[in-house]
Amino acid sequence: MSQSGTGPSAVEYIQHHLHNNAIGDGFWMINLDTMFYSWLTAGLLMYIAHIVAKNMDPEKPNGLQNVIEAVVEFVQQQIKDIFPGSNPLIGPLALTIFIWVFFMNAMDLVPVDLLPSLGQVVGIEYMKVVPTTDLSTTFALALSVFALIVFYNIKIKGLVGYIKMFLFHPFGKYLIPVNIIMTAIEEIAKPVSLGLRLFGNMFAGELIFLLIALLGGASMLGLVPQIMLGSVWAIFHILVITLQAFIFMLLTIVYLAMAHQNETEDH
Amino acid sequence: MEAMAIVYGNTAIAVGIILAAAGLGSALGWGLICSKFLEGIARQPEMRPQLMGQMLFTGGLMEAFPMIVLGMAMWFVFANPFADAVKAAAGA
Repeated sequence: MSQSGTGPSAVEYIQHHLHNNAIGDGFWMINLDTMFYSWLTAGLLMYIAHIVAKNMDPEKPNGLQNVIEAVVEFVQQQIKDIFPGSNPLIGPLALTIFIWVFFMNAMDLVPVDLLPSLGQVVGIEYMKVVPTTDLSTTFALALSVFALIVFYNIKIKGLVGYIKMFLFHPFGKYLIPVNIIMTAIEEIAKPVSLGLRLFGNMFAGELIFLLIALLGGASMLGLVPQIMLGSVWAIFHILVITLQAFIFMLLTIVYLAMAHQNETEDH
Repeated sequence: MEAMAIVYGNTAIAVGIILAAAGLGSALGWGLICSKFLEGIARQPEMRPQLMGQMLFTGGLMEAFPMIVLGMAMWFVFANPFADAVKAAAGA
């Protein structure tokens, strides 16, 4: 698989691309490339929103304003379908999660060697361009949502009501230990599955891009298989990116809606 | 040296089984979801857009666990924890 003897082997290429640019170690390891690209996408989104809001025209909306209005209305429709009552935090939260996760995922569509090789010209050894392929990012988002779930549970149901939910769901008052275990597992599964779902999808997508790039280096037809396969996979990956961002947003709304429901004592 | 070879060989077989199971689960799950989707369209053709949205959404939810399993398999391939444990035990 190696070229003229000076290139890295296939496994080394993949492992090099899967390595984060980190400082510190253990718990305090900070992945600088993840931080940079997540802040970059967030800053870009804030700048675009600011520009469009400043030049907003209610009579004749131009292109970008139309797009943003469509996205906002889409998110609003989801919230109206699912969320009972009213909470001024949910709308901006859902919108932020949706478009930020979508833009972070969309960094995966940039050709896999482009930005890292530009970085190597400047002297940066490792660079992972997609922040959501880092477990830290996805779990940061998932744990923030989990903190909000616990906060709203306690705020709406009261601390007593929240503990009663642990004790008497789903079985009844004679099976309290079983109830505690099952409800605790259900509550913990929410952030764990949110974080791991997004991470798994993005990691698998990036890995397949890397394997397709290896194919380009190794095959006799040169770049042709890489371009064809890469385009096909990138088109499929557009669907996966959007879907995963949408699922994250929808599950956030669903979990917060569940936290806002008052207990109906039916057992 | 032999211990490392045994560890890597067994890890390779294990990763193969893990990936087969993940692929099988994912394919069966999508098959069930899409078959119900087709039945729903057959019963009420005018509901196709909503059903398509729901199908993609539940498909994405179902893909979560095969993806997690795939992530763990890739972890075994690229940063084998068993090999590290054997190295630590041999070095100690």
